[in-house]
Amino acid sequence: MENIQPIFWLVPVTSVIALAFAWFFFRQMKASDEGTETMRKIAGHVRAGALAYLTQQYKIVGIVFVVITLVFAWLAYGLGVQNGWVPFAFLTGGFFSGLAGFFGMKTATYASNRAAQAASKSLNAGLRLAFRSGAVMGLVVVGLALADISVWFLILNSFVTDADPQHKMLVITTIMLTFGMGASLQALFARVGGGIFTKAADVGADLVGKVEAGIPEDDPRNPATIADNVGDNVGDVAGMGADLYESYAGSILATAALGAAAFLSNAELQLSAVIAPMLIGSVGTLLSIVGIFMVRTKEGANMKQLMGALNTGINGSSLLITIASFFILKMLGFENYLGLWASVVTGLATGILIGKATEYYTSHAYRPTQRIAEQAKTGPATVIIGGLGEGMISVLPPVFFVVVGTLLSYGFTTGWNFAADTLSMGLYGIGIAAVGMLSTLGITLATDAYGPIADNAGGNAEMSHLPPEVRKRTDALDALGNTTAATGKGFAIGSAALTALALLASYVEEIKIAYSHIEKTKLEGILHKVGFDTVEQAQKASLVEFMEAYEVHLMNPKVLVGLFIGVMMAFLFCGLTMNAVGRAASYMVDEVRRQFREIAGIMEGKAEPDYARCVQISTKAAQHEMLLPASLAVIVPVAIGLLLGVPGVLGLLGGALAGGFSLAVMMANAGGAWDNAKKYIEEGHLGGKGSSAHKAAVIGDTVGDPFKDTSGPSLNILIKLMTMVSIVVAGVTVTYSIF
Amino acid sequence: MEKYLYLSLIPESLIASQLPPEEFGNYYAVGTRKRSRGQAIFFEVEPGFPSEGISWDVMEQRTVPHPDGRLKRSVYLSVYRVLERVPLEALKKLYLVTDDGRVLGLDKAEYLQDATRSLHLYQEFCPMTPRVVSNLAPQEFCKQITNPANSISVPKIVFCELALEKLARDPEATEIGDLPYRNIGHLRDCLRELLTKTDKTTKQVDRALSGEVLYRTVKNGFFVGDGEDMLYYPLPPREQLEREYYEWWRSALTTFID
Repeated sequence: MENIQPIFWLVPVTSVIALAFAWFFFRQMKASDEGTETMRKIAGHVRAGALAYLTQQYKIVGIVFVVITLVFAWLAYGLGVQNGWVPFAFLTGGFFSGLAGFFGMKTATYASNRAAQAASKSLNAGLRLAFRSGAVMGLVVVGLALADISVWFLILNSFVTDADPQHKMLVITTIMLTFGMGASLQALFARVGGGIFTKAADVGADLVGKVEAGIPEDDPRNPATIADNVGDNVGDVAGMGADLYESYAGSILATAALGAAAFLSNAELQLSAVIAPMLIGSVGTLLSIVGIFMVRTKEGANMKQLMGALNTGINGSSLLITIASFFILKMLGFENYLGLWASVVTGLATGILIGKATEYYTSHAYRPTQRIAEQAKTGPATVIIGGLGEGMISVLPPVFFVVVGTLLSYGFTTGWNFAADTLSMGLYGIGIAAVGMLSTLGITLATDAYGPIADNAGGNAEMSHLPPEVRKRTDALDALGNTTAATGKGFAIGSAALTALALLASYVEEIKIAYSHIEKTKLEGILHKVGFDTVEQAQKASLVEFMEAYEVHLMNPKVLVGLFIGVMMAFLFCGLTMNAVGRAASYMVDEVRRQFREIAGIMEGKAEPDYARCVQISTKAAQHEMLLPASLAVIVPVAIGLLLGVPGVLGLLGGALAGGFSLAVMMANAGGAWDNAKKYIEEGHLGGKGSSAHKAAVIGDTVGDPFKDTSGPSLNILIKLMTMVSIVVAGVTVTYSIF
Repeated sequence: MEKYLYLSLIPESLIASQLPPEEFGNYYAVGTRKRSRGQAIFFEVEPGFPSEGISWDVMEQRTVPHPDGRLKRSVYLSVYRVLERVPLEALKKLYLVTDDGRVLGLDKAEYLQDATRSLHLYQEFCPMTPRVVSNLAPQEFCKQITNPANSISVPKIVFCELALEKLARDPEATEIGDLPYRNIGHLRDCLRELLTKTDKTTKQVDRALSGEVLYRTVKNGFFVGDGEDMLYYPLPPREQLEREYYEWWRSALTTFID
């Protein structure tokens, strides 16, 4: 412990503070009025359904985790090609990621009826309750991540032995990356499973309820309506919680690993570089708490004032972290602290710009979505063509911002020196930009998680037949959530791209460390094959020398094949998840039809539908359908590694990153734009509700549902999970690759 | 056991039932199990009025519970030229049923004609179902269409006025965002023709009602009349529908026109 700077202790202390505030907000929410008996009953149905789903999901994911842990244990202790800490780090990452989602979901299901009840008093009261409940998830995610990171850092620092302290730090940070794999895998299951559940229920409820039976949304006569509300919690809340836990932890861990590699020659600076992302995350969390308290409005505030209050919180904490990070980086003794600070600012700016671009392409206040709505006049086919077209065009700004952000953060950190020997430092700058982007996750996630809570509050108000002014307020809260969520999405998407980029470099570092575990006779052959004479030579090789040794260039067919497969993986994964939603929705359609047929009195409101059965169907379908796409994300990098070795894997990861990122943006934006094109028509344009244009837009929205809520958000995790898997099995790749 | 008599407009038929209006409306729209779906508009009628071809004995004899005790839901008494045989005095409330079975009952009220002159869009429901534009106010329109002296007339008519918003004064108006009608260009042509041909009082827009009526487009209410006599069933204002009849209103908004 003596080597750790005292300032590091801020990280675990912050995690405790974040969790304490989360608990405080949770208790505050639990103590508020639950509303009428009907409101309590409906919330109870949703809570029970969500809990049943998560319990079932965690059982299946638990089995997968046990199997993979056993494989890792065998690789580490049997074959000796992996560090012995990996199985444990992998398990804890998965556990905490799941826990973050679970707490978020638990809070959201308690908050929905309370937020509806608060909205019956005033818009302001509704916003405060929903936002503070969202803050529970934001703070739980960052609190658990910082706790997990700091505890593992302390454990590994105490137990990992290495004569060379700089190499020890390199080993520690790369071991810690494997808990990122656990978090990524858990997040992928949560996003894919939750996404399939929520969209199967949503599409099933819409197709039979709205289209066949003409029942409005959230009508209690629709058997799938509770499953639909459960889906909002397991997909949008639990899935998002696990996802952002993984993004947050992943960005810090990847940057720490890059820092350890970039400052290999100076032990003191190396340690500073390792703890810098943790400290930026910690201070960002404290400032997020400050930002949460800055969200204040007067009673009777209107929508504009509420939006202003939320923006004050988000912008306030972003501004404060911009100032604070300058002092953190200066205090840690970096020579190029100004350059690193500029990278943090670049990260924050990139996130904000991507958020603005997302808003432009998905909000019906702007032309792209209005253009899609206009296409509805000529039917569903043109709506779908228009949505796909606008979605594809919408990829331009985020890619441009990420590209510029990458170059700027690289340039700022290296002093605009793009020579080969600055590569590690430049990549560290990119990592720091990603950390800067996510530093205020505590509050940005609060505004993101607040959306589904407000949405569920609206559903509860609807089913409980609350007066129209309450429903109008919950609708307003929901609309507010959609706008703030655009910014949150920008941060999530941008950070995923930057983190994945940084992780590519970590992959190379992991290979170097893997050499230490490989049996001597095998190692000689491996090193000889790539032109290194000794392990030391390989481990001291720069990134560029390493790339040359493994022939990682575009003329190498292994790289090209990997690239093709990487891009294909993004499409294959989307196809599988989209088809999964289609199949699961068809089970739901059959069940809803059956209930209407066999339970007499549903339509008259005399008999209650079997809500639990629909929840069961969605649960079963989601569990069944999520296994193949999630398994592919684990199996393909291992298989490519075994077949094509390091060049193939790097090609795969590069292809998946470039192809997957663009596809993810396209799917998320097209889905969001279709949804809002429908809302634009419902507001009274182009014929309004019930018109043929509206009908066409509803079809577009249904197509877009799995785009924006299942496949699109899962792609970011897929990209990172494949990289994490490659990092974890790097030892296997270099030892057993065939070609 | 109480018996009810209903005059359905879609399609035109006289039906006896043991179900009270709300239950009948729900049953009529969606059946006993959710296998069908369809909008319905019907009057509750006071039985016993003198009319050729309608047998009250049949109603008495057949409108009895099933052997297992279930109430008889529908006994069709007549299906052809029914409206003309039902006197206006026998008509009680008018019920509007959404396609998923939500029922709204409308009471009669006095119709106060709007003094300002404008163009009108009428949807006829019975005995025929064309959609027409007219420069006649509802009372004048009713009189004209039921005047036997005219070469084209019907004995009695049920219709409603549909919203035209700015088109009511200016067929070229561009701000018509919330009007869901198909082929707005054709509607404009019809309105222009009424403005330019001073001798023309009505112009057919659609030959028959296809699909369903969007209740949200009903401007003021429903009319039923023959000659000088006309009954008016006003639709409550939107604010009242949202507050007091929210379930019906929400369901009405969910309906799609094909």
